[in-house]
Amino acid sequence: MNEIVRTHGLTKSYDGSPCVSNLNMSVREGRIYGFLGPNGAGKSTTLKMLLGLVRPTGGEITVFGKRLTPKNRIEILRNTGSLIESPSYYGHLTAEENLEIYRTLLGVPKKNIDEVLRIVRLDRQKRKKTSAFSLGMKQRLGLASALLAFPKLLILDEPTNGLDPAGIQEMRELIRSLPKKYGMTVIVSSHLLSEMDQLAEDVGIIANGRMKYQGELSRLHETDRSKTLEEIFLDMTGKDVSL
Amino acid sequence: MIGLLKCEYRKTRRRYVFITALVITACELVFAFYGKYEGFILENGWMSFLYQLPLINSIFFPVLSIVVASRLCDIEHKGQQLKLLCTMTEKGRLYDAKLLYGLGIVSLCLAVTFGAEIIFGKVMGFGGELPVKLYLIYMLFTAAPTFAVYVFQHTLSMLFKNQAIPFFAGIIGEFAGLFSMFLPQLPALRKAIIWGYYGVLQFVGLYGWTKETRYENAYFEIYDRDWTFFAVLVVLTVVMYLIGRKLFDMKEV
Repeated sequence: MNEIVRTHGLTKSYDGSPCVSNLNMSVREGRIYGFLGPNGAGKSTTLKMLLGLVRPTGGEITVFGKRLTPKNRIEILRNTGSLIESPSYYGHLTAEENLEIYRTLLGVPKKNIDEVLRIVRLDRQKRKKTSAFSLGMKQRLGLASALLAFPKLLILDEPTNGLDPAGIQEMRELIRSLPKKYGMTVIVSSHLLSEMDQLAEDVGIIANGRMKYQGELSRLHETDRSKTLEEIFLDMTGKDVSL
Repeated sequence: MIGLLKCEYRKTRRRYVFITALVITACELVFAFYGKYEGFILENGWMSFLYQLPLINSIFFPVLSIVVASRLCDIEHKGQQLKLLCTMTEKGRLYDAKLLYGLGIVSLCLAVTFGAEIIFGKVMGFGGELPVKLYLIYMLFTAAPTFAVYVFQHTLSMLFKNQAIPFFAGIIGEFAGLFSMFLPQLPALRKAIIWGYYGVLQFVGLYGWTKETRYENAYFEIYDRDWTFFAVLVVLTVVMYLIGRKLFDMKEV
């Protein structure tokens, strides 16, 4: 299976203190890669580095087989959709108007707007101002923006943050359907162990900026049969990631 | 770039940026036109405008720049848009498009102001013909500091989430520029700050006016146009643009 994303020795320090340390990440094509770690572990920083929003202090990133540099960043990111931290939106515009702006920037067909709004089930609210949206609707709009160009790679940073249980379930099913329906590879970060257990096929566990485990989730279950998955995580991260 | 400019236009829907800018322009015009137009002032109306308007411009156009830049950039910070937009287009292009769009709005307001000033002079019956060449230079010498101030405001508004920072920096600069016009004994002060260039580039002076005799012995004098400092201002603007673009490019979002 092809590697869509690969990092080698990826490091980011702020004022000399490392936030991400020597991270080697490998994401396989067509898989859902769960990037798991406690709050402040370095998940968002890593994902931002993959998108070129944060400059690494060291190491290198390869996306779609090409080394990511400031020069080819936008060309590579044409095949990447993202939802980082909280969803981005212009509150004074409607959902449709928001997507129209991204569509113009991405240069994708107009019909994609209706299609992605249908996928995230916002088609009935497309003419509503986004400032009046609930958090769940904003998250879905964020996902719609990420899906707009039907990218090969989708990077979602805690997409279920702030959602109620029904919203979490809905978002999870939506993300799970993407690789099969559209052939996408999904990197999804979370600090919720239960979330990743139900969603991801491969996982990377990060704590204090270091990768503690990377591989298939099923194999992680098998590492120590005497312990629950939660206990294995606690051993690796030293923090309660299930909270 | 056309696509990016279209996006900028779409982003400003329901933000009333144009209306806000035109309201500030209207305030400037009310301020500029207020007064008694008779005798010496009516006879020398065109020169009087060239003498008085730079001072009024130094008050209103920096405010216009603060407001327009802040309104345009704030929408990106409020909606946490930069982290999404910067995955879709180069940061530098985003900086350029927003700058061009903002300069477009400011240019429109400048055009409205210049047009209204000429129409007002004609309607009031200012003495003599409109000195077209001098007015063209006046327009250029007003637009140049305004664009410089706008580039400064735009950069700060793009860099800082909290729009109070560009606002206070702009207001401090504006006051410094305004006061520098009342301190002719300190020409270096007005030349050191971009807000002072409304005064540096002023080329009409009033002489012979006293409290007692008023306009009895007064006359306007046209100085040599200061093309050297105009060039300095243009260079300063380009340098500010390049530094601002670089800083925004380096900013992690």
